[in-house]
Amino acid sequence: MPADRTTRPWALLVTLALTALLTACGGPDDSGGGGRVTLRYTWWGNPDRAARTERAVALFEKRHPGVEVQTSFAGYDAYKQKLATQAAGGDAPDVMQLDYRMIDQYATGGVLLDLREQSAVLRTDDIDPGLLATGEVDGALAGLVQARGTETFVYDAAQWKATGVAPPRAGWTWQEWADTMRELTRKSGKPGATDPGQSEDCFEVWLRGLGKSLYREGGGLGFTVDDLTRWWTFTDGLRREGVVSTARQTTQLDGTVENTALGRGTAIGDFNWDAPASGYLGIVGDGLTLAPMPSGEDGRPGQYFKPSMFVGAAANTAHPREAAQLIDFLINDPEAAGVLGASRGIPVNESIRADLVPKLEGFDRTVADYQDSVDGSLEAPPQAPPSGDSALQTTFSRDYDQVSFERMSPREAAENYVTEAKAELR
Amino acid sequence: MTTTDIPAATARRTPPPAAGKGAGRRREGAAWVFLSPWVLGASVLTLLPMAVSLYLSFTDYDMFNPPRWVGLRNYTQMFTEDPRYWRSVGTTLLYVVLAVPLQLAVALAVALALKSVRRAKGFYRSAFYAPSLLGASMSIALVWRAIFNDGGTVDNLLGTGGWVTQPGWALLAVALLTVWQFGAPMVIFLAGLQQIPAELYEAAAVDGASRARQFVSITLPMLSPVLFFNLVLQTIQAFQVFTPAFAVSAGKGGPADSTLFYTLYLYDRGFVASHMGYASAMAWVLLIAIGAVTAVLFRTSRAWVFYAGEETR
Amino acid sequence: MTTNVPTAAPGSQAAPRRPLPWRRVALHTGLLAALLVMLYPLGWLLATSLKPADEVIASLNLLPSRLEWGNFTTALDGVNDVSIPRLLTNSLLIAGGAVLGNVLSCSLAAYAFARLRFRMRGPLFAFMIATIMLPHHAVLIPQYVIFNQLGMVNTYWPLILPKFLATEAFFVFLIVQFMRGLPRELEEAARIDGCGPFRSFALVILPLIRPALITTAIFTFIWTWNDFFTQLIYLFSPEKFTLTLALRSFVDASSQSAFGPMFAMSVIALLPIVLFFLAFQRFLVEGMASSGVKG
Repeated sequence: MPADRTTRPWALLVTLALTALLTACGGPDDSGGGGRVTLRYTWWGNPDRAARTERAVALFEKRHPGVEVQTSFAGYDAYKQKLATQAAGGDAPDVMQLDYRMIDQYATGGVLLDLREQSAVLRTDDIDPGLLATGEVDGALAGLVQARGTETFVYDAAQWKATGVAPPRAGWTWQEWADTMRELTRKSGKPGATDPGQSEDCFEVWLRGLGKSLYREGGGLGFTVDDLTRWWTFTDGLRREGVVSTARQTTQLDGTVENTALGRGTAIGDFNWDAPASGYLGIVGDGLTLAPMPSGEDGRPGQYFKPSMFVGAAANTAHPREAAQLIDFLINDPEAAGVLGASRGIPVNESIRADLVPKLEGFDRTVADYQDSVDGSLEAPPQAPPSGDSALQTTFSRDYDQVSFERMSPREAAENYVTEAKAELR
Repeated sequence: MTTTDIPAATARRTPPPAAGKGAGRRREGAAWVFLSPWVLGASVLTLLPMAVSLYLSFTDYDMFNPPRWVGLRNYTQMFTEDPRYWRSVGTTLLYVVLAVPLQLAVALAVALALKSVRRAKGFYRSAFYAPSLLGASMSIALVWRAIFNDGGTVDNLLGTGGWVTQPGWALLAVALLTVWQFGAPMVIFLAGLQQIPAELYEAAAVDGASRARQFVSITLPMLSPVLFFNLVLQTIQAFQVFTPAFAVSAGKGGPADSTLFYTLYLYDRGFVASHMGYASAMAWVLLIAIGAVTAVLFRTSRAWVFYAGEETR
Repeated sequence: MTTNVPTAAPGSQAAPRRPLPWRRVALHTGLLAALLVMLYPLGWLLATSLKPADEVIASLNLLPSRLEWGNFTTALDGVNDVSIPRLLTNSLLIAGGAVLGNVLSCSLAAYAFARLRFRMRGPLFAFMIATIMLPHHAVLIPQYVIFNQLGMVNTYWPLILPKFLATEAFFVFLIVQFMRGLPRELEEAARIDGCGPFRSFALVILPLIRPALITTAIFTFIWTWNDFFTQLIYLFSPEKFTLTLALRSFVDASSQSAFGPMFAMSVIALLPIVLFFLAFQRFLVEGMASSGVKG
């Protein structure tokens, strides 16, 4: 260290800066005086969902005068990274919306409160037990399911009709689907659908149609290199025939409906989840129709009802009881349900759903009808995907890119994927 | 305040003589006063997080559970078991070699042209800077994807097919997005040109030096510190290219991994796959690689960068 | 290698030459042609903000078939809870604070590195440059933890404080480069006149590096204004949101078709910085040329 004399000016400045810093930040306004409790509640969504949620939250605050709820929302991608950073920094919001793929990771990481601890104020009797269980991790109720969704083959009925091809029938098999796409392409001159080879979701539906699964109970892959090779050989063959979108179109998929082949107007149909398919409305128009996913050759359905959204509370919240009260209100209160409508999908609380469904209009109605049409015929959902799944989802489409750009054979790519997946799930 | 001081030129390389010790120490004290905000910021907000990330690079850390020490495993895995890692290295190097010279050349050319323009200077400056005001947002990425798509403007003009849809072309489309936003180096070049005393040109003109001669003898050497700055910074930034690639390929680095740049893959490992330990190791390898390249640049700078405030060797 | 000392080369012609008219015409033609190419994507952005939903992505035509002003009203609906003036004020507060901080702290640090002697100068300078070399994703979480420990999350401190502490090495290095280009005789003269380092910094050096300071100010303003990510991570309450954050974070691609409004948002968010740049770019021209310093 330099001599005392020389350090003095800078030591003084540091002291000054630190004092300024400490007085300036003086702590954020915490729960404040007067015994008022402040909860932070975050979700992802669009302005419509936000406006409805704000109104529901205002109702809650009226009902619980001692509680103030600070709300915040963002688009999904932004939300996901913000929440991860907050959680890693030990600063997760008191109440947060979660995706199916987040549950396992957040719960095993100790971020989430076991909601059963608050069963006195948080009722779950009106929720289907099977659906409720999808929010369980290691025996704790880490998240409460808010809505469910299932996959669909969505298509433009106007274009389809013009080709004269028979519309999809319930229970069609993958083989029938492929033949139908061939026919559509022959009649219309454009691909019938986006290449499903890049989609881990479609692969899962196909696997389940064979009686297999993406992941084994208790971890590990539920399929072999041979299975994946078969799937990719199947889809790659269709691509070579020109029956599904080209590699150059497929590689541009980014999770938005606009960038799908159907959204760009270069195909007649597409695979997607039911509720997000509403995005096609503005592009495709009223001809937008939902058909069930193809099933296995013996008629075994591969698609299933998947919880599409959860709500959870932070394990380190200072106000677990109030947080649980807020969740209970959002899920179970009829008045809140009246405000929220189907802005987070068809509600899971059965009495509220029975109340709400007849009143639905527009695309909400379409989704509800579609769900009714497949309800009862589907098999139980698998357990929540393991933490490694979010990485594998992108790996899956990356490896298939290598196939569709003809840089690897389906088998080479499948071997690659399985090796990576095993390392990921280790 | 009066200080007797040794001439700066000698002070640079030789320690202050014993006689000037008191003054030297006072001046050293002054230096630390000037540096104090930086010292505080660098230690608390930079060094500390850097040290943490260095530590994390030796651990298995998923952001939610406490980090678990794994020694060098992240590094060995990166170098020996991850072909995608090496592909990202190759892609990034290609990008650096392509984008940096191109962007600097364009920025310098436009800055020089703007210097000789007399009319509508402000208009040109603003118009050329306009693309850089945007940053690399989602919407500019979509514009880029439209222009460079199959059947898009570029395809129609050149008949090459879409650039963002073909593995062989996509990297070029991303590089062009960077080059297109050349506003920052251009403005820095302009500021550097402003700083060249007009007297030098007047004297040269009086001596009858040609424009080319003036450029070589006055503009280039006087601009060299700024040129060097732009070269170093653009190189560092090119190694870390993230936003344009993320935007244009929607975070996937496609088609067929052709724009999976180093930091894009790092982000993918860290925030998508939750392997923050692995991502930290990647970050430190990158730091060392960039550091080596920058050190080489600094070394060569002695031969070609001229500082008016310091004597030439 | 020896570097050219910038003295004029000997020659025969004595009179300063004026550029010929054809030369100026060629220059302007070239510049305008380059601009046309440069601004084409911006035109595309503007045009797309007025396209109806089924054309935003699907159509590869520049011009919309009909003008969809609804994109703009939808975009503004997204921020209806917080008033636009409030968001603007927040943005200006943060960007203004950042500009002040960067100009102040970076020029102080740069002066020390460029002109003063102190122990460890070389290694510290190398360290400063090294801080730009680590990808920021790797330090994001540790930084968040620090600001969280300091109780600064959901305040503007994480956005402004680092600028007052010269953490942006880009600008320190930039100003260093400009200072090193200044002739040393200036300070020698000042020193003979009795100026210490503080006075020669404030009275001699600062006025001379105005182009660098203005560059720093303009870049800081624009980059802070556009820095969606840091604002997203550190701000929680909507009433503290900035314009950029409010506009951009409300786009949710997962729930509905929102690309038209998103383009409209980009256009709206662009307006303030365009105005800022137009207002301040003219200061870039002033500087050394007008202050008449001899080399």
